[in-house]
Parts: sequence; C-alpha cells; structure tokens
Amino acid sequence: MKQDPSNRANQFVSLKAALFVSILLFIFAVGASAFRKDAPVKEVSLNIINRDSTESVKAFETVYKTLMSPRCMNCHPAGNVPLQGDDSHLHAMAPKRGVEGKGVSAMKCSNCHQETNTPGLHMPPGNPEWHLPPATMKMVFEGKSAHELAEQLMDKKKNGNKDIKKLIEHADDGLVLAGWNPGEGRTLPPVTHAEFKKAWITWLQTGAYAPKK
Amino acid sequence: MNNDKTALDRRSFLKASLISGGGLMLSVSWLSSFKAADKTETLNLPDQWAQLNGYILITADNKVKLICPNPEFGQNVMTSLPMIVAEELDVDWKNVTVEMGPHDEVKLGPQFTGGSNSMKMYWKPLREAGAAARQMLREAAAQTWNVPVGEVTTKAGILSHSNGKSAKYGDMASKAASVPVPKEFQLKAPKDFTIVRHSKKNVEAQKIVSGKPVFGLDYSVDGMLIAMIQHPPAFGMKLKSFDAAETLKMPGIKDVFTLKLYEDGFEQGGFDTRTFNELLVVVGKSTWEVMNARKKLIANWEAAGDLKNTIGGRNGKTEVTVPGTIESTRTQLQQMQEYAAKPAQLLRKDVDPEAAFTNAAQVIERTYNGPFLAHNCMEPMNFFAHVTDEKALLVGPLQAPGWIEPTLAKLLNLPADKIEIQMTRMGGGFGRRAYGHYLSEAALISRKVKAPVKLMYTREDDMTYGIYRPMYTATYRAALDANKNLIAFHVKGGGIPEHPIHANRFPAGAVDHYLAEGWQIPSNITIGAFRAPRSNFNAAAEQSFLDEVAEAAGKDPIEFRLELLKRAKEKPVGKNNEYDADRYAGVLELVRDKSNWNKAGNEKYNRGVAAYFCHNSYAAHVVDMVTRDGQPYVERVFSAIDCGIVINPDAATNMVQGAVVDGIGNSFYGALTHKDGVPQQSNFHNYRMIRIHEAPKSIDVHFVQNDLDPTGLGEPPFPPVFGAVANALYKMKGRRFYNQPFKEEVEKVI
Amino acid sequence: MAKITLNINKKEYPMEADPQMPLLWAIRDLAGLKGTKYGCGVAQCGACVVHLDGEAVRSCVTKVSRAAGKQVVTIEGLSETNSHPAQLAWQEIDVPQCGYCHSGQIMSAAVLLREKPDPTDQDIDDAMAGNICRCGTYLRIRKAIHLAADMQKKTTTKG
Repeated sequence: MKQDPSNRANQFVSLKAALFVSILLFIFAVGASAFRKDAPVKEVSLNIINRDSTESVKAFETVYKTLMSPRCMNCHPAGNVPLQGDDSHLHAMAPKRGVEGKGVSAMKCSNCHQETNTPGLHMPPGNPEWHLPPATMKMVFEGKSAHELAEQLMDKKKNGNKDIKKLIEHADDGLVLAGWNPGEGRTLPPVTHAEFKKAWITWLQTGAYAPKK
Repeated sequence: MNNDKTALDRRSFLKASLISGGGLMLSVSWLSSFKAADKTETLNLPDQWAQLNGYILITADNKVKLICPNPEFGQNVMTSLPMIVAEELDVDWKNVTVEMGPHDEVKLGPQFTGGSNSMKMYWKPLREAGAAARQMLREAAAQTWNVPVGEVTTKAGILSHSNGKSAKYGDMASKAASVPVPKEFQLKAPKDFTIVRHSKKNVEAQKIVSGKPVFGLDYSVDGMLIAMIQHPPAFGMKLKSFDAAETLKMPGIKDVFTLKLYEDGFEQGGFDTRTFNELLVVVGKSTWEVMNARKKLIANWEAAGDLKNTIGGRNGKTEVTVPGTIESTRTQLQQMQEYAAKPAQLLRKDVDPEAAFTNAAQVIERTYNGPFLAHNCMEPMNFFAHVTDEKALLVGPLQAPGWIEPTLAKLLNLPADKIEIQMTRMGGGFGRRAYGHYLSEAALISRKVKAPVKLMYTREDDMTYGIYRPMYTATYRAALDANKNLIAFHVKGGGIPEHPIHANRFPAGAVDHYLAEGWQIPSNITIGAFRAPRSNFNAAAEQSFLDEVAEAAGKDPIEFRLELLKRAKEKPVGKNNEYDADRYAGVLELVRDKSNWNKAGNEKYNRGVAAYFCHNSYAAHVVDMVTRDGQPYVERVFSAIDCGIVINPDAATNMVQGAVVDGIGNSFYGALTHKDGVPQQSNFHNYRMIRIHEAPKSIDVHFVQNDLDPTGLGEPPFPPVFGAVANALYKMKGRRFYNQPFKEEVEKVI
Repeated sequence: MAKITLNINKKEYPMEADPQMPLLWAIRDLAGLKGTKYGCGVAQCGACVVHLDGEAVRSCVTKVSRAAGKQVVTIEGLSETNSHPAQLAWQEIDVPQCGYCHSGQIMSAAVLLREKPDPTDQDIDDAMAGNICRCGTYLRIRKAIHLAADMQKKTTTKG
C-alpha cells in the first residue's frame, strides 16, 4: 500500500518543490473538484496535483508534533476525559465526553469554558464551540504513533466523513485556532498556525502518506 | 457514675430569672464541672478557664430555646450540645430551637471548637444544666399543686402528678424562675436516654440547603467596605516599597496603605501566629473591584531577615527568633536529613534500648516523610470588623474567640468588655481558624479606614499564607529477637518547625525497651493545628511501620497489635502511657469482626488496617483497595470507633465518614511545597482535593457501645486512615510507601 | 461600568456593573443574594454553581454580560418553598457538615436530576465531580441524589 522512496538525497530538493507546489495547490484546491482514483488511501477524494510520499511524510512530521502537543492532544484523549496542562494530565474533576462531546448534565464544557479565554492564570480557556470530538468520532490523538494518526485522519469512517477539502478547511476551524490562543500561562503549539497549516495542506495534497511508524 | 445524685459544690451557682413576657431563664455555672482538656495535644488550651454558663430559655408558650456555646464548623455541635441539655431537661426535641451564643465566656464557658474537646468539656455541665432546670420546674409544679416534689414526674416537657394534674413546662416556667436553685438533682441513667443516642438532624440543615447567609463571608452591613491584603509572594520576604497609583485609579477603590500588625515587642499569645507582619492593604467598595484593583499594585519585596517574636506565657515573656532563610522543599529535605543524623532531645526511654538493638536477631529501620499540608477550608479566611474609638464589633468564622479577644484588646487598646465577637457558622476549620490573625488584621484595617470592613482572603491568599500542618519526618527502628518477638522500639522524629512525636503513645508501654527522641528545625513557614497534625503524621508512619514489623514477625497485623496491647494491659512498661489498652484493642477487634478480616469473600481487595488513639478517642479502619483505571482506588472502608457515649449517632457517623474521605484525599494528594520560599500550590488546580468519584463506595462505621462519658470525634478518626491506606497500597503494589503524598510516590514507581 | 439588568430567580435586578465582573460577585455583592458561594474563583470547586438558562454554570468565571437577558437561578430560587427534591433529600439524609459547598452541590444535582431522572452512582460521580466537599460528605451526596430521584418520581407520578 505505502510507497516509500526513501531517497534522502532528493528530500531537500523535493521539499522546496513541494512548498511551491503546495501553495499552488492550495489556491487550486479551493475550487477544484478533480481527484485521482488511484489515491493510496481509498475512500478519500483527493485534490492532488503531485503526489510525493517523501514530501508528504516530511510534512506530516510537523503536523504530528503539532497535533501531539498539549494544546491539540488535550482535547483528543484516549479515554473519555479530556487532558489538561502542559503535562497532559487527566482534566481535574474528570469531566466526561458525553454523546456530543460537550460534557454531561452538570458537567458541560460550557459551564466553565466561556466564549473567550477567562483572563488570569489557571483560568478556563474559552471558545464558543468548546468541546471534545463526539462519542461517535472520538478522533483520538493521545498515544497514537505518527503512522496510526495519519491513517486515522484520512479514514472517513473515523474523521467525521471529511474529504480532503473538508480536512483542509478544518485547519481553520475555530477550535483548532484556539490552540494558538490558549490563555495565560499555557505554552503554544511547537509551530505557528501558518506553519502548521502549510504542513497540513502539504501533507494532504502530496498524497497524505502515513509515516512508516 | 452517671445516675448518681449530683450535688453542686460550693463554688457553683445557678441564677434563675424571669424573662420578659414570662418564662424562665436559667444561667448555670460550674467551675468544677469542667474537665481540663487534654493538654498533651497540639491545641494547648489556655491556663485559665472561665466559668461555664449554659443558657436555657423556656417561654410561657412552651417553646424551649437552647444556646449553643461553641462555634460550629461542621462537627454538628449546634445540634449535639443542645441535645445533651434537652435530654436532662426532658423536653420534646420538636419544641427545641437552637441559637448560636454570643461570645461571653462568663456566661457560656470556654467557647472553643477544636481538639475534639466540645463533648468532653460540655457533657457534664450541660447535663447538669438540663437536670437542674427540670428540678426547678418540678418544684414549681409541686408548690402549685401542693404535692411533694418527689411525686411530680416529667415526660417530654409535661409535668404530671398521679392525682391527674398536669402542666406544660411553659405553664410553670415563670414560677420556676422564683424557685430556689436546687442543691441536689438526679441525672438520667444512660439506659433512659430518649434524645442522646438517638439521631437528630442538623438544626441548621434547612438554612444550609436554602442558601441562608449563615457564613462569615455572607455577613454584611450597610456601608461595609471590602479589604484585601497583598502578602509577600514568598516566606521570608517583606514589603520593600509599593506604587498604588494605578490601583487608586480603579473604580470603587477607597484607599491603599500599609499597616503593621504587631509593634516590636508585642506580646503574642500562643495562637497569635502570623506569617507576615507588614500588611499592604487595598480597601474598596466591592469584592470584585478590590480583587481587580489589587492586581494593579506594583509592589517590591525584599528579604525580611530574621524576625523576633515575643511570646507571652505563664512564666513571662520569651523571645523567639524566626530565621529569615528562604526555603525550598529540596533544601528542607536535605536539612531534615542532616538533623536526623544528629543527636536529638530525649523524650522517653524505657530500660535499655541500645543494648536490645545491639543484641537483636533482626533490626528493621524505616524512614517516613510527610509534607506541609494546607487546610483549604472551603470558606477562605475572612472577618468583619467595625472598630471605633469606643468599641469593636467583630463577626465571622473562628474557632477560638477567647484566645483572640485579649490580643484584640491590646491591639485596639480597648477593654475586653468593649469588644464584641460574634461567631458565624464556619465553612470548615480543621484547626486553621484557631489562629485569629485575620481578626486582628480586620480590626486594624477597620480602625484605620474608620468604617465597617470585611477582610477577605482569596483562595490564593488563603493557600499561600502559611499556618500549615508542619513538614515531618520520622525514623522507626524495631528489634526482633530470634523468636521474632518485638523486644525494642525506637522512634526519632523531627519536623519543620516542630517534631511529631507523642512519646507516651502506643507502642510505648507494650515493648520492653523503648526510646523516643525528637528534634526540630526553626523556620519562617508558619504552622498550626490540622486535624491532629502530629497524630495524622504518626498514624501514617507508625501504623505503616508496625504493619511491616508484623510481617517480619510472621504475624497477622491485627493479631500482632492485639498481642502488644495485651502486654500493655497486663504488664505495662514504663509510666504515663496515655492510652487505655482495652479500648484500643476494642476498636481493632470490632473492625476485624465487622470487616471479616482474613475471611473468605474479600479476595478482590487489597486490605490495609490501622488503628490510632488521639484526643481521648480510639479509631481503627480497614481500607479495601482495588485498581481502577490503572489507579489505586479505595472502594470500601470499615471503621470502628470508641468515643464513649455517642450523642448523635447519625451525625457522628457522618463525621467519621468525612474523616475517612479526608484521610484518603490528604494521604494520596495533599502537599504544599516551596521553591525559593514561594508556595508551589496556590489554588485547587494544583492542590489536588479528593472528589466524589474518588470517594469510596461504602464506609461502614461502627461504634463501640459503652456508657463511658463521651469524648470527641473531630480528630480521632482521621489519623489512622493514612496508615490503613499505606498498608493497602503495600498489598496492591508489593512495596511499601514511605513518602506522602502517596499518589506522587505511586506515580514515581509506575 | 454599564447598566445591566439581571433576571435572578424570576426577579429583575437592575445594576451598574463592569461587564467583565463575574456573575458570582454580581449575585453576591450587587443583588445581595449570599447563598451562592465563593470557593476558588477559578472554576475548580463548584461552590458558585448557579443555573443560567438551566445549565449549571460556574458563576465565578461567567461574566455578568453573559447572563444578561437570560434566566439566572440561584439556590434561593431553586424552589418556591425550599422544597426541591434535592433540598429535601439533603436534609433527610443529613448531608452537610460545614455546609459551605452544599448550595453548589445542590445546584449541580438539580441539573443531573432533570437530565437523568434515575441516575446511577456512575452518573452521579460524572455529574458531581466538579463540586469539592472539603468535609468529605460525598457518600451522603450520592445517597441524597438517589433519594431525590425517588421523591421526584413520586411527585411526577402524582402531578
């Protein structure tokens, strides 16, 4: 299934090329509906101009380290309780996911998490849509290898039936952006949102290859 | 004996008076009735007790109002103390209302809540108060009906005679007020109790569940200002300079100023502990405005250096130097290791422990550590004060009004009778509110701004202020002979800034050769009572150690302890052993039976047992631990308690269950650590509190049934929880846990 | 400062308040209702829980501006005669020790009882884990919620 050119000598060149291509791709992808039937991951409609497993896997490194940073992973826990803090401990008071990912009865996310960050240290960060992935689509990050996470992100059965277009759009989702506005005292993800988004789109549009591990 | 005729001694007096609108008010006073409280615990009581007066008011319309003398912090004294009066008075509990008394120790006795003392102190005086009033009502009826007083009986507030006459207490109350105070009266036999030993519901429950303003923070008067103190960020620091320009521009802000709490040489009482002497105060109109404006303060801090405290006492003043060292948990642990290796103060020695250890077949030595703990009362420290040149009114939550009043009198230069202290219900206490610095602060602030003021600590102020349970360590050694008998026991304990050792407690008295030593390291980190601070550390360490020794001796941990207690009873070693070996063994046997210890059906549990004696009561727990979601979870607990007669069984059960939950929480999570003098925990996000999903599914509480005079329950059930948890963890993990909080150590191991 | 009118317990409270002010302080200091408690100020302890359009929000981190135009219910207004099943059950089981946390506990429990009329122990733990009780009355809270659920069922059947 997976192709792995593992041509290290080519990587630097192809990275540059990929950057250039991906910018073009992004513009193109917005309106384009073309897709290739021979995409390596089935079920996914791809707006791909230039598949490049090396570039794709390389881009995913950035995607992976971002998604596995506390600001992203904490709301994509392995269990049904979100994580908290830079050490990604279980959220104090163990709020439960609930069917919609918005908590349960007296412990709904929005009971504490406001529409915006509450000022001050140790205060609940806020967003109008604050929630976990719903019970039907948990989109677990915690504990996943890069390989597993990449496969899961591309699996329409697990990603909320998102095609490439939707996945690209998701980079600008309000809650994804909230990772870069985490409230006082919390570290930012390892790259800027622009860098993340670029890597995300590159990964997707060069074939969304999953790293070997 | 309880049912003997009781005579009032010469120094006693009763005062009866008519209340307006008709009725009897009886003030009673018995200096002799007071058992001096146990002076061996941390909460040492003042040398002088005031006289006790219990108030009983009976109105012509047959209502009975009983005054609760002691402040209420959740131990349910507002219900259980009046139950004692009502029992002997023989009234229908339904007709009783209860009011918290004002601070008036001449009329109401030593109004101190703490040290598990309320029941022990008030049992006899309150019984006598009720019985004397009943006697006077009978006398009044006998005169009215012209029958011998001996023929007048009472039942649930009704006076009757066999000739058919009957009257309600209310009908006779006014007349009773003119009856001479009886010289002799009868107390009920415990078997005849109809109120005591029968569960009565919390008299304030309805107020609590409907949100009535019963707590200190709820108290408010017109024109009241809010004050907050910005204290230094670290222990050992003080204010250098500040700029309040931005703060003063904020809406609602009235003033920003500094205030010195105690002038140099001020003679402090034993409970006048304060962490910071110079206060940077922000005063404004409302809580939020002050909170917000305080954040705009620019304050510069500097090392405070050594601090001289003048402590008053029976034998005059003593000067105590508090070192200015800026401490960190890491340096504290190092320092404790150094001190532990040095010679220490001898606290008790029986026979020849050195030789016994030298000649032992096996020596077991283990060291235990416990961190500072913050009380974290749900209601943070606060107090209302309105001080003028003539008088002072103070209202709020505190445990010991009698200890702060002399301090306020000196600070405010007012006679004690011009200082009125009203005690509200407390949102928790646990020993923290025995230290009245926050009243002194509130009073000085009110005097300065010439207005009624509510001083309020935020949660962060409260948690980082100090007055913690001390940081403790102890090294235990046990010597076994070739037959695995325990022949010698040695404990050497230390702490910052006090050591935890109770030298005359079990197993002292049960081992041939015994040695107890203590050492302490002075510190600027302030400490105080914390639900039996020394006992709760000891019960973790000693009870865990005894478990390990029992295992080395090849014995069941309960049987091992029972054998030692048998020895302590039959052939006690040494003098001054504080505990009653029979009662101690009694709780172990009861918990053994109730928990089906060593019986089939408990295989899924990792079982830990511990028992402890402190504050005059005995407690034992069996803790049943399981692994849940990869974590240790105490699913079930069995508790056995001997506190003599249980006044209000359901409320007592509640308190024991709460102590168990508190013990699990503090042993797993509790810790207040420092870095460069700065407390590393400041609110519940990083000071972990036990929550409902971590509480056991069941806590079965059993009381030893006896007719002994009651002793308290606030402290005693708490300490042995720590040891039982440690012992269950051992069963679960196959290794011992020596360092609190256990959760942290468990995580290091995993 | 802004003019805000809060509807608390079906009563209008016009007030001058900083829109950033937490609802907790508007309720306690401006409306003068003291049943809602301050415990931590950082949404950790649950002592300040009130209902905002029926949800158990923590008033210490909820800006007063969020509450404008909505229905705020505090412990004082949970029932007309302090007869909400949770209030009755709390007394029947004699839950409180110090009592400080219990208005928040009851306000949380009331939402649980509405959304899960027959809660299991697990449901109770899931719903109530946000409310700290320093005295450790958790076992009685569970028991009282079960009793309240029974009471609620009876009332519903009758009514």
